[in-house]
Amino acid sequence: MDKKGSKSIYTNKDELRLFMGKYGIGVILFVMLIALIITVPSFRTTSNFINILKQVSINGMIAYGMCVVIATGGIDLAVGAQCALVACLLGQFIMKMGMNVLLSCALAVLFCAALGFVNGFLVAKFNMFPFVVTLSTQLIIRGLAQVISSAQAISMTNAQFKLVYLGMVGPIPFPVVMLFVVTILMYMILHWMKLGRYILATGGNEKAAIASGVSVFWTKIAAYVISGFLSGVAGVILTSKTSSAQSNLAVGYETDAVAACVIGGTSFAGGVATTPGVLIGILIIGFIYNGMNLIGVNSYYQTIVKGIMIIAAVLLDLVMNRKNR
Amino acid sequence: MAQDDTIFKCDNITKTFGGTKALRGVRLDVKKGEVHALMGENGAGKSTLMNCVIGLIKADSGTMEFEGQPYSVRGPVEAMEKGIYMIHQELHPEPHLSIAESIFLHRENMRGIFLNKSAQNARTAEILKKFNFNYSPRTLMKELTLAQVQMVEIIKAVSSDARMIIMDEPTSSLDANETEHLFNTIKELQAKGVSVIYISHRMDEIFEIADRVSVFRDGQYIGTKLISEITKSELITMMVGRTVEAVFPKVDVPIGDEVFRVEGLSGKGFRDISFCVHAGEILGLSGLVGSGRSETARAIFGLDRPESGSMYLNGEKITNKNTRQAIRKGICMVNEDRKNYGLCLLRSIRENVSLPNLESRQKGLFIQQGREKREVKDVAEKLRVKAGSIEHTGFSLSGGNQQKVVLAKWIMASPKLMILDEPTRGVDVGAKSEIHTMMCEFAAKGMAILMISSEIEEIMGMSDRILIYHEGRINGEVSREEIVNGTMSQKEILAKEFGQ
Amino acid sequence: MKKLLAILLAGVMVFGLMACSAPKEETPADEADTGTETTADTTETSSERVGDVNGDGKFIVGYISKNTTDTFHGPINARAIEVLDGLKADGTIDDWTGILDGQTDPGVQINLADDCVTKGCDAVIILPAEAEGSAPAVATLAENGIAVVVVNSKTNNTDELAVAYSGSDDVYAGTLLAQHVVDNVPDGGKYVHIQGVLGNSAQIQRGEGIEQIMKDHPEFEKVEEMTGNWNSSEAQNIAQDALSKYGKDLVAIICDNDDMSSGAQDVVNAAGRSDIVCVGVDGNNYPLSLVKDGKMLATVLQDGVGQIEAGIGVVKAIATGESYEKNIDVPFVLVTKDNVDQYYTGE
Repeated sequence: MDKKGSKSIYTNKDELRLFMGKYGIGVILFVMLIALIITVPSFRTTSNFINILKQVSINGMIAYGMCVVIATGGIDLAVGAQCALVACLLGQFIMKMGMNVLLSCALAVLFCAALGFVNGFLVAKFNMFPFVVTLSTQLIIRGLAQVISSAQAISMTNAQFKLVYLGMVGPIPFPVVMLFVVTILMYMILHWMKLGRYILATGGNEKAAIASGVSVFWTKIAAYVISGFLSGVAGVILTSKTSSAQSNLAVGYETDAVAACVIGGTSFAGGVATTPGVLIGILIIGFIYNGMNLIGVNSYYQTIVKGIMIIAAVLLDLVMNRKNR
Repeated sequence: MAQDDTIFKCDNITKTFGGTKALRGVRLDVKKGEVHALMGENGAGKSTLMNCVIGLIKADSGTMEFEGQPYSVRGPVEAMEKGIYMIHQELHPEPHLSIAESIFLHRENMRGIFLNKSAQNARTAEILKKFNFNYSPRTLMKELTLAQVQMVEIIKAVSSDARMIIMDEPTSSLDANETEHLFNTIKELQAKGVSVIYISHRMDEIFEIADRVSVFRDGQYIGTKLISEITKSELITMMVGRTVEAVFPKVDVPIGDEVFRVEGLSGKGFRDISFCVHAGEILGLSGLVGSGRSETARAIFGLDRPESGSMYLNGEKITNKNTRQAIRKGICMVNEDRKNYGLCLLRSIRENVSLPNLESRQKGLFIQQGREKREVKDVAEKLRVKAGSIEHTGFSLSGGNQQKVVLAKWIMASPKLMILDEPTRGVDVGAKSEIHTMMCEFAAKGMAILMISSEIEEIMGMSDRILIYHEGRINGEVSREEIVNGTMSQKEILAKEFGQ
Repeated sequence: MKKLLAILLAGVMVFGLMACSAPKEETPADEADTGTETTADTTETSSERVGDVNGDGKFIVGYISKNTTDTFHGPINARAIEVLDGLKADGTIDDWTGILDGQTDPGVQINLADDCVTKGCDAVIILPAEAEGSAPAVATLAENGIAVVVVNSKTNNTDELAVAYSGSDDVYAGTLLAQHVVDNVPDGGKYVHIQGVLGNSAQIQRGEGIEQIMKDHPEFEKVEEMTGNWNSSEAQNIAQDALSKYGKDLVAIICDNDDMSSGAQDVVNAAGRSDIVCVGVDGNNYPLSLVKDGKMLATVLQDGVGQIEAGIGVVKAIATGESYEKNIDVPFVLVTKDNVDQYYTGE
């Protein structure tokens, strides 16, 4: 890294900083991409890129929901448990009761959205700490999943249901299509719709939002409902992926989701989140896992690299954007 | 005062933040026992210099001297130990400390390694009594109002045996009574040889209390004058580099029909309030801090629920369960607490301005982005918000410009009734005058305006009619004629505020 | 200063990536080498690399672990690194993936299977996290023509899709447990069964084995059957409760693994009831040390290292074109004070 070189390119001292502040994390993704493409032959195949997108789709869904909640100044630790609950519900609906696959999925996802409503209600109505609320509901939900499944795994042999993960739309796997659709939807909600503005305003300054006529109550609930809904969708994909309905699925999935949000520039204080940022965060995490597996890096180091990435992303954001604030 | 000995001196101080030069070689000398006023528009460099003095930020270059010794500190605690204490404009009290703990913070009364709480409380009680501050030393800071918190800060500074006290806008949240109290205290300090650096936007205060005044403009030192040798207009000229109307730009517009009326409104802090506001009218609510003015406004806007009473908008009875309902009906409010109720500082000017106005600017499910940008840009230009673009965040704006953005969002809502609670507090002279001009423009368009201000000149200069609050009730009404004819003087209004 | 920091940061990241990819630098070279070799081979003998399923002229092995954290899998992974590195060094295989961490998560194992396909693996060793959930990982690999060697426990599609399975018969382990109790408590009595995580194949099959023996021994009465989730401290609680509930009637505590049996034994010993027989399966370090010190009668060793060695043996056979057994049973061993030195290595 030639410091002198960069100095002479950017005559205006602030220009690089502003650029990096806005697109820094994208630049890092790009650098990773180039480095992997150059050094790992098997990385640069189309099928591997599709493979990565397929792998990140589940974390992606959860991360989008998480980012909305974090943007309101909260956190949703119940997402993993909600995935597991969906799995157990699907096991009962499809395999035990023989219900229609689409209907079962819709019901399971709606149930998760309802659980999101409960989370949101507890947070918004009683002003409880989101961390505490979702930490507790996560236990309840996971327990519910165990009750429903009697802690037994059900094999999801339904061919139609297996298509959720294995199905293709043209050359694109169905989970990738879903991720794409959700990305578009989240972009519209967060950047084009009233709700998105309300979410960001609520997280940015709750009192100011109230003084501007924003119903903080409903905004918070909406955020948790979105998170519940999306973790439900992720749960459906995960169940189809493992073709197994059991209560110990998706343990610890909230960590990767939070990591994706933070790497993508979502502020833990609330009020700052962008869909492209979170997408980049999701992809960076996917690249770390996939790239390092292909390189053959010991898995212990992957965990370390992920940790370093998060701190680096937060530092980058802090250093680059301090002046803008 | 004719002291010759300089207690504090600094020379050639420079400070650069990123690319902007906040201080460009400024100097200042303060004499022992004098009240030295520091004036200049927001962003002139006064606060930056003072932060350098107490060590909150480090100057890039320059020299400082205190009591004849070279002076440099690494932080406020060290500055306090050396004898310089600063009372900030934006207070950040520790909400869970008691008054005593707050006053003795960093210089706790110790017995061995233990806090000597009883001695500390006793000592505090003594000090509080001296300031007529009728609270127990054990009262928690969070239970105090903004004005009371500031009073505690002042008491803390005074009691910390400082030889130089810096006060940044100390009276901005004090009422007349408390202000007078403060001034008496300052005079006492002066007599004891304590110097005070006094930063304020309030011209009258400066002429009342200061011995000398130094003026800064755009990070540069403009000059120092004896108060006795300068007029208000000369001082303003020094500050802004051009002549600004020091008087209020009040334009008389025809008063129209009644727009809004409250009858027998009661709630926490106010009792049986009845009044009405007409189209084009600016109704001033005057009174001491805590007399129930802001509380009335909050109830009208739906921030708090009134206990009883009724409200009528254009003759129709209304209730506002929340701010959303109030805004939909055309009532909006600029809150006195700009830090909390003002802007989402992390978000852009555009998002802040359009936040309460999104409902009417949607097409289907989506916000009309083009229209939003255009309208926000228009209103920002009209209010002369000084920012690079409407995409800049609230953080990048000065206090005055933040206030303009708050106003902008309500102008875009084109309300029927606009409530302005301390609209120009902490705002520099130029922006203040601009805000006043705008108020007249709104009134001319037929808006009804309810203005709350602790600055008696502002109330008298801007209002068509004044309601005087005293302890939660209306204690008198003054018309514009009475003010213009001089039949009602400042002194008389003040008397009514005090309940006479 | 800030800018410097930023550049430093970016530098670190890039450097990190470079460093990470450093070992890979050999691979392009390898590729070039083997590439030319293969062309030479094809021109001369027109034969391909033995066992190469994807036609890249190389034989690459994937290793999907169950996890990299628990005490049972630690030695297995360590042995795998040793043996596979050796095979790579002597040219039997061209490369292997390193330990891929399955995180005991079937979803992760499926991702890793995809990565193995991308990486061009020809044979993959997998230690399934779940019998149901990890099945799609085996399926993905098999669909791509990769030889799948399942080790330690079966997925429900192992018999049809995997080329080989190396493991131990958990039903047999169960019979060993019960027989040990029968042999040491001739008069019979009340016993407690502490189970593993419900639904795990090991839990189900070991329970089955215990029942097979116990049904012929009416002098034994099962008074309690609860799950300790493979977990020592949960087992301690159950043992404590059983002890106070059944007092001197209690003669044995049979556990599905020996983390739990050693926990139960600790409780029993602390209560001065060393007459109660505690026994479990695995052969972890702590239970073995108890056996060595005479504080526990016996434990049933599951030879994980033996399982992985046999599994890698299959891979080696594929790479060299030799024949191999499809179902390898690595026997459980009852470890008592007599033979403990053979298995107990650590402190």
